[in-house]
Amino acid sequence: MKKGSLVAKFAVALLALGLWQFGEAAYIYLKAELAQQLIKAAWNRTRNGACAVKPWPWADTWPVARLTVPTRKIDLYVLADASGRTLAFGPGHLSGSAMPGEPGDILISAHRDTHFAFLELLLPGDEVCIQTPRGALFRYRVVGAEVVDKSALGRVLSDDGERLTLVTCYPFRAINPGGPLRYLVTALRA
Amino acid sequence: MTSRKQAAVAGNPILGIRVLLDFLALAAKGVAAGIMTCVVLAALVLLFSGVAGAASFAPGDYIQLKDVETGSLLIKAEREGLYRRMPLLKTDVETRVSGIVARTRVKQQFSNPTGERLEAIYVFPLPENAAVDHLKLHVGERVIEGQIKERESARRTYERARSEGRKATLMEQERANIFTNSVANIGPGETVIVEMEYQQTLRYDQGSFRLRFPMVVGPRYIPGDNVVAGVAGSGWAPNTNVVSDAARITPPVLRPEAGPINPVTLRVELDSGFPLATLSSTHHRVSIAPGSRSTKMITLNDGAVPADRDFELVWTPAAERVPRTVLFTEKRENRTYALLMVMPPQRVEPAERRIPREVVFIIDTSGSMAGQSIEQAREALLLALDRLTPEDRFNIIEFNSVTTTLFRQARAADGQSLDRARAFVRRLKAQGGTEMAAALNAALNNSDDANVLRQVIFLTDGAVGNEDQLFRIIHDRLGDSRLFTIGIGSAPNGYFMTKAAQFGHGTFTYIGNPGEVKLKMSELFWKLENPLLSDIQVEWPAGAAAEMWPQRIPDLYLGQPVLVSAAFEGNVDRVIVSGRRGGESWRAVLPVDRGEVRPGVGALWARHKIAALMDRLRSGANQDEIRSAVIAVALEHHLVSKYTSLVAVDVTPGARLDGPLQTAAVPTNLPHGWQYDAVFGQLPQTATTGPLHAIFGLVAIMLAALLWCLRARAPGFVRFPGSGR
Repeated sequence: MKKGSLVAKFAVALLALGLWQFGEAAYIYLKAELAQQLIKAAWNRTRNGACAVKPWPWADTWPVARLTVPTRKIDLYVLADASGRTLAFGPGHLSGSAMPGEPGDILISAHRDTHFAFLELLLPGDEVCIQTPRGALFRYRVVGAEVVDKSALGRVLSDDGERLTLVTCYPFRAINPGGPLRYLVTALRA
Repeated sequence: MTSRKQAAVAGNPILGIRVLLDFLALAAKGVAAGIMTCVVLAALVLLFSGVAGAASFAPGDYIQLKDVETGSLLIKAEREGLYRRMPLLKTDVETRVSGIVARTRVKQQFSNPTGERLEAIYVFPLPENAAVDHLKLHVGERVIEGQIKERESARRTYERARSEGRKATLMEQERANIFTNSVANIGPGETVIVEMEYQQTLRYDQGSFRLRFPMVVGPRYIPGDNVVAGVAGSGWAPNTNVVSDAARITPPVLRPEAGPINPVTLRVELDSGFPLATLSSTHHRVSIAPGSRSTKMITLNDGAVPADRDFELVWTPAAERVPRTVLFTEKRENRTYALLMVMPPQRVEPAERRIPREVVFIIDTSGSMAGQSIEQAREALLLALDRLTPEDRFNIIEFNSVTTTLFRQARAADGQSLDRARAFVRRLKAQGGTEMAAALNAALNNSDDANVLRQVIFLTDGAVGNEDQLFRIIHDRLGDSRLFTIGIGSAPNGYFMTKAAQFGHGTFTYIGNPGEVKLKMSELFWKLENPLLSDIQVEWPAGAAAEMWPQRIPDLYLGQPVLVSAAFEGNVDRVIVSGRRGGESWRAVLPVDRGEVRPGVGALWARHKIAALMDRLRSGANQDEIRSAVIAVALEHHLVSKYTSLVAVDVTPGARLDGPLQTAAVPTNLPHGWQYDAVFGQLPQTATTGPLHAIFGLVAIMLAALLWCLRARAPGFVRFPGSGR
């Protein structure tokens, strides 16, 4: 009897652990989804002329662009900086890379299992649009994709044409989040 | 409980076997259920995490999965390419120190292990005050002396020789401390030696002498974005609108995994001129042996070391033998050149009315600072915070790609502000770019409040390529502030450290390893908290027509000597040096006619003059005028400068000209203690831990369910006959 109750306790503990882990996962995906709603409000204020509007008071990032893929019904708000903290909430614009309209490479990255899961579906010829806070709309056409090592940043950024590079981790369905490969989708100014 | 069960089982073999079988069956069911669970879970997770229905690209448009798995990664291809055409380099350094002057001979041995004719390009550092006056090309037994020429003319000479298949070498200056050697037509399996010599004055500060030999040009951050035509080079960075010669100062850097390259052997013959109290090397293990007469021979313990950090030798005179004056002269034609050093008295005045200070700390948190450097910088900064008093005001500016300030405006250094500052410093992490201009603009604002002593303390490794732009900012915005640079790490940019401090009317300090932080910082505080020696004048007798560099001697901090180079005609018996510290004036008479005759003093004078002329560019002097003035003095003294190069061409043409000449840049090591990925960046990590959590969660829930079932069956399992005592 004593043994049975011990097993039961263990089972309950495992259940709690399971729910907690499951909750963590749910939290990650909910956060990714809900944050975009808050960022949308900040973006609207940015569009009305405000500068670096933080979507919530303790945020250390702000929306810098809106990324849409009309054919895939994708509509995302891009945040300043591509640090791990930022990427939990939305795609991040790598600081140091170009902004739309500037010569050079615009580099935007997001998680492969949330905001940028759709990268896998992009085909050459697809149109990706970027809107700047001032309202200007830049259209880019996907020309190709490649898989590179994470250390290839310098080579990715060294181009001088007007280019948009979307980055996410590869392979798309790996369980382990720390892999060394990256999937780059390259689009040229249309 | 376990022991009792074991006893029961042992006492009844048949029962024991039954229980065992029962248990095994249950375990097997459990495992099966577990596997089922995992399969279900895996399917669930896939549905959960990815967008289902993967369309794929037409073959040819995209890289194929099998290509990925076989490793067609570009970075790897690049690395193989690097190995394929890599000239090998060995360096041998020999320095003779006498007093405060050193002469160094550097031999670079280039060999070609490939089957092709090579042109080797090597971008390397020398001390920022090196007066390079000799270049020799050794081809087998032949030795060809280098000629000094204007930069363009030297390049034409070199290029002609290159196209004719002759061996040739060209030494060009990119920065005061970065040089490029090009060596043309090294045949397959051949070895060519390039030998150069330079003269320099040593640093004498806070009672110790320092000799530095930099070994590697650390990867520099190149700001600016428009790619411009600029000057052709073989580096990893494209030229930008801010750094138009970026490709010439960014030699390719080998990934540290590929192992250290470019071995260096080094010997120093030290004739200090006084008995030594201490003698040590900062970054290398050395052995010290008595040399001829009163000299000491210093050699590296490990034989050859990789060129991945500065070599620094420090020595201090025995207490009563501290040199007060040094006087070296050299007569050339009808001019006499003199190097004068005089150490003002070190007596510390009792502190007068303490002027309140406003201290602004700037800390570089760019990727090149990652690793040991940021730890040293944090520690140094925390020490400096402890030194502030409540009357002082302070602020901290952190910069990498962006600039962040601790407070909007400088605040009183009370307990609360200091606590916030310490927490801020402990959180600092090094990553990203080195946008230094914004940080300097934030720290320097032309303030000139006579009631406040404004000190800017700048902790950085100076790994930037836009020194000129930064010096101009310091020159234009300094106001009454004083800028002190603290060079961090194993291979700081000495040119940036010394010049930024010079334009900032401050001093520079190097912190090379964690053990030095406390000592070096207390030396700096000593300088910050004691009065300056000001109004320094050097009086020459009337009619001497002395040309002295620097023309105006800046204020000196406690422990710094007055050091000038001069050229004059005729006889000068003495000069008078004077200055004021606090309320007291000081005066020294130097008998110039009794100076020790020393070859190379003329070259030092010329080098000081070139440095002073180049400095004028930052205060807006006419470029063409400066250029022709520098060329005139450099050609006369056979010196390499920004506008003059040394070139040596072999007379006999090479034997075989078949096949094209391959140009190959000699790769360099990453400086010791640096982190490759932090410098060259990497693509962001872009996967959440969601799937992992989901799997853990579901497995745990399934296991819980399984255990629950087990518990239900447990009574029949545990309660067996004979156990109920």
